[in-house]
Order: sequence, then C-alpha cells, then structure tokens
Amino acid sequence: MNKIKTKIDSISYYDDMFLAMLPIILCASVVYSRRVILICGIAAITARVVDVAMALLLKKDIDAEDKSSIIASITFSMMLPVSIPLYIVVVTVALVVMIGKHVFGGKDVYPFSLAALAMCMAAVNWPENVFQAVRPLTKVNFWTGEAINGVSAPALIKLGGLPYISTFDLLLGNHPGAMGMSFLLVILACGTFLIVNKRITWHVPVTFLVTCAIFSLLFPRIYGVSRWYSLKYEMLCSSILFFSIFLINEPATTPKNPKAKIVFGFICGIMTMIFRYFGSYEIGGCFALLLINATVGFWDRLFENDTKESEIFNFIKKNRLATVSENSSVSQVKIKKVENKVSNNNFNRNQVKNNSLNSNSVKNAKSKDNLSYTTTLDIISRAEDSIDEVEFSTQTIDMNEALKDFEKYSKEGK
Amino acid sequence: MDRKTKIHNELLNWDDTVRKRKITLSNPVFIKGLALAPLAIAATSLKSSFILSAMVALILTPTRVVTSLITRKMSIPLKTFFYPMVSAIIFGFAYYAMYKFMGTTAFSLGLYLPILVVDPLIVKNFEKTRKESFLYSIINGLRNTVGFIVACLLIGALREILAFGTLGEIKILSVSLLPMAYNSFGGFFIIAIISALWSKMSHKYHDKLIREDASYDNA
Repeated sequence: MNKIKTKIDSISYYDDMFLAMLPIILCASVVYSRRVILICGIAAITARVVDVAMALLLKKDIDAEDKSSIIASITFSMMLPVSIPLYIVVVTVALVVMIGKHVFGGKDVYPFSLAALAMCMAAVNWPENVFQAVRPLTKVNFWTGEAINGVSAPALIKLGGLPYISTFDLLLGNHPGAMGMSFLLVILACGTFLIVNKRITWHVPVTFLVTCAIFSLLFPRIYGVSRWYSLKYEMLCSSILFFSIFLINEPATTPKNPKAKIVFGFICGIMTMIFRYFGSYEIGGCFALLLINATVGFWDRLFENDTKESEIFNFIKKNRLATVSENSSVSQVKIKKVENKVSNNNFNRNQVKNNSLNSNSVKNAKSKDNLSYTTTLDIISRAEDSIDEVEFSTQTIDMNEALKDFEKYSKEGK
Repeated sequence: MDRKTKIHNELLNWDDTVRKRKITLSNPVFIKGLALAPLAIAATSLKSSFILSAMVALILTPTRVVTSLITRKMSIPLKTFFYPMVSAIIFGFAYYAMYKFMGTTAFSLGLYLPILVVDPLIVKNFEKTRKESFLYSIINGLRNTVGFIVACLLIGALREILAFGTLGEIKILSVSLLPMAYNSFGGFFIIAIISALWSKMSHKYHDKLIREDASYDNA
C-alpha cells in the first residue's frame, strides 16, 4: 500500500530549522562577535513574550510548542548587521508577531512570511541602521553595537560599482554584510540538511535559484565585465541563497502542491530580481516574497487536482460524509469528526484503524446508534489508505443524506 | 438622581447614551471611522493636528446648523449637493480666519485642509431623513467637533512621539521608536490600533454598567 507522507509535524519542522540555523549563528558569533547571540536571544525572547501576551489578550490557550515566531525572529536577526541597535530588533519583532501573526489567526495560518515582513518593516523604518555592512573580524561593542563599517557588495552593485571579492572569500563570507547571510558554504550545508530531512523540498529553492541565475545572466547589472562575472556576484554576494533556504520555504506561506511550488519559486525569483533591479532597497526578495505570499492560495487551487491527496479531499467534500479542512502546514489533513445527531458516540481513532469496512457493512449498520459511525468509518479508512495521520475535530452533518451518498457511491463502484 | 437610577436609565436608553457620548462611546474617528484620510495622511504631529482640529471646529458646527435650516424641505439628492456647497462656502471664511491668526502655517497641510469640505465627518448628515432641529444641530455639531479634536490631537501626538521622539517639538525620547508612524500607512496602522482599543474599552464600559446594574438589583 503506497502511503503518502502527508503529516508534516510543524513542531519538528521548527526544531530542525533551529538546528539548521545554529551553525550560522555560531559562525556569525565567531566572525562578528558575541553580540550576534545577544541579538538573536533578544529577538527570540521578544517573540515568545509577545506570543504569550497575545494569547492572554485573545483569551486563547498558550501554545508552548509553537516556535514559528521564534524561528522567524532568529531568521530576521540573521539578516541584520551586527551593529543594529537592540530596540529596533525588539520593536520590529513585537509588531510583526502581533500584527503579522496573531491578527491573521496565529500559528500555521498567517499568510505572510514573518521574517520577510519584519525585514521589510525594519528596512522602511530604519534603513540607515539596517543596511550597514560591518567588516568581519573587527571589534564590535557588545552593548552599543559600534563597529567598523564597510560597503556591502550588493550596495556597491546598486550604486553601479564593480565589487572585487575573491570567490573563496565570497564562499566563506569574508566580506562586509549582514550577520548570517554571507556564509554561503554553511548555508548550503544547512539547506542540504533540511532537504535530506524532508523539512523542505527542492522545488522552491532550486526553481528560485535557477530563475534568479538565468535572470541575472540575461540582464546583467554590472557593466563592462562578462555576464558570468555579473552572475557570480549576483548569486554569491547577496542574500539569495539564505533567502532560498530559510525564508521562502516556511510551511505556512508556501504552496503545498509540487507544481504550485515550482511556479511559486519561479515567480518569486523573477519578482526578487525585478525588485533588486528597480527597487530602492537591497533586500528586494523580502518585498517580492510578501507580494507573492498573497497568491499562494491561488497556485494551490490551480493545481489542486493533480495530487492523490486532492482526490481524497475532493471525494470526501463531494460526498459530504465528512468535512475536510486543509491546514496551512504542508499537506496536513484534518478530517473533521462526524457528530451524529442521533448518537453521541465518541469517535475512536483506533476503532477506525481496526475496522476494515466495505460497502456491505453499511447494510448491516442500520441501527440508529451506529448509523453515522459505520458510514464515515469506511470513508476515513479509505482516506487512511493514503493518508498517515488523521486528526479529528467537531462538525455536525446530516447523516441521512450522507448515507444516501455513500450507498450511491458504493453501487457505482467508483 | 442616584447612581443606581442613572445606570439603569443609561442602559435602558443605550442608543441615546451612545449617541450623546461622542468622545468615548461613539467617537467620530475611532468608532465611526470618519475623516480617516486627512488624519492618516496629514496629522503627523501635534502642530498639524492642531491645524486640522481648528479647521474642523470652524466648519463642522456652522455647516450643520446652516444646512439644518435651509434643507428642511429638500429631498435627499438635493441635500447631497447642498451640504458640500454650504461647507465649501463656510470653509472659505474659515480659511481666511485661520490665515489671519496663524499666517502661512495654516496652509502647511496643503490639499488635506480643503478636502475636509467633502469629508463624511462634515457632510455625512445629508443622508439622514430625520429633520434636525436648530438646537439639536448645534449640540450635535459641538459634540462631534470635540470628539474629533480629541482623536486628532491624540493621533498627532502619538505619531510625533513614535516617529521623531518629540512632542510639540520638545524632545522627549532619544530614539525614533517607529519612524514609519510619519508615513501614511503608519498613520492608518496607528489609527487601527487605537480604534481597536477604543472599541474594546467602550464594550468593557457597557459590560461594567450591566454588571453594576445587576449587582444593585441583587442587593
């Protein structure tokens, strides 16, 4: 029986994201001083405090396992220079978690990437602080963040200059820039770790990177040198690799369907390059991502009939035997529990698994007590042939109508 | 009248209570959402808020009073033309008066001062089919004016503090906490947050009155 791994455990996902981020934080703390850890810590604490405060304010349960805002705040911190004043980190993270996450419904349902939103907000508010490029391996004041600044390669390209950094330095991150975006080899290793662990799929990052590469090859920004030289700096000295691994793969803000992911990555790549070429800020990718995040649902709907999961969703929806809601975490399926009007039997998931029901059992299940129970069991057991994890919540439906639908379905033998 | 009777009457005539309390329970900006465009764009500091407030104070009540007198027997479509016309004429006088008192500072808001002429805050009343008495138009006009002024000054002060760390050009913070408060989208953002809190507080007040009334009944 071919089972599709559809349940993505969001908790493990964020744990793995943190693990992947850890080497970058360590590298940055070595290259740019221990202030990196201070900034990340403050960002994470602010995110958690705002999460708890919003839960109390909205009278919701405090979700101790929700780490989405912590990871987003650390990702955001990695895009900042080490000289950033701490109050900027606190204000930005607090506002973004409050408005970008909780106002839109909280964990797993927020539509815009929190890290990208935070970066855009910080860039619009404090551009002079956010776009500083601190020279690596220089002295940085731990509390005030005073440091020796240089000119980042993206800023130089933006001004029409010609950067000269050796490929080796580009790969190691030995050039002025943000805290965590320049360690390309480490980022590449972290991305591989995430792909191997199936926390992210190759679709979005690969499509995004290829699109950006082709775009910069066709329309080079650095004049007077070969196209390959321009391509090298566009791809290696900017935030593109970090962006493709840590920002555009967030489960809540990425399409679920592989084809939709490819389209998403392609459009994101084009928009990123357009924003970088014609926008005012160096972090065009964040603005592009926010724009494309708004279309995620559209791409999923466009390709919704292409997966086996979608077939099951459509079947159950069509037959009205249970209501299916798709959580925003990748392919997570919730089949809502059928609450019978005549019996109040609690739905036992183990019983669902142990019962291998077929259409004949429907005829034997005419008693009022297990009327709804039996019919929905079959549907869910069929669904479980292809879906590993099924969660239940409460929903009332008309079981008489559902039974008719199911019998019709069985007769047709679809 | 003792407190018990007062609360009971307030709750019995809750709609009237809300209508009368233009600063808190039915604030024209935070609860009704009127005059958002000039506030979000132009009220960036205490000074600009003061100019907006002065202009509204000069045109809102007179417009309301004059139109209540001359549009009594008009149909609604005709009123629609008449209201902005009256407010525009009154604006001309108000503009001149402000120039006399403030000089060219009065023109610093550019388009966002004359745009008040057609703002729902000033002309929304044309929609009402009920005839407004002379006295009621004065009272209601003044209530709306005070409600607007409170909201306008609050927004202007808050935006100035967040964007520049100053209040009335006096330095009170060493850093700019939220520079985007100066921008239009920052203005909408701040108005949205204040409106949500304002609305929440008005609901809380209503609940408090109900609880207090119930406690008197139980006693």
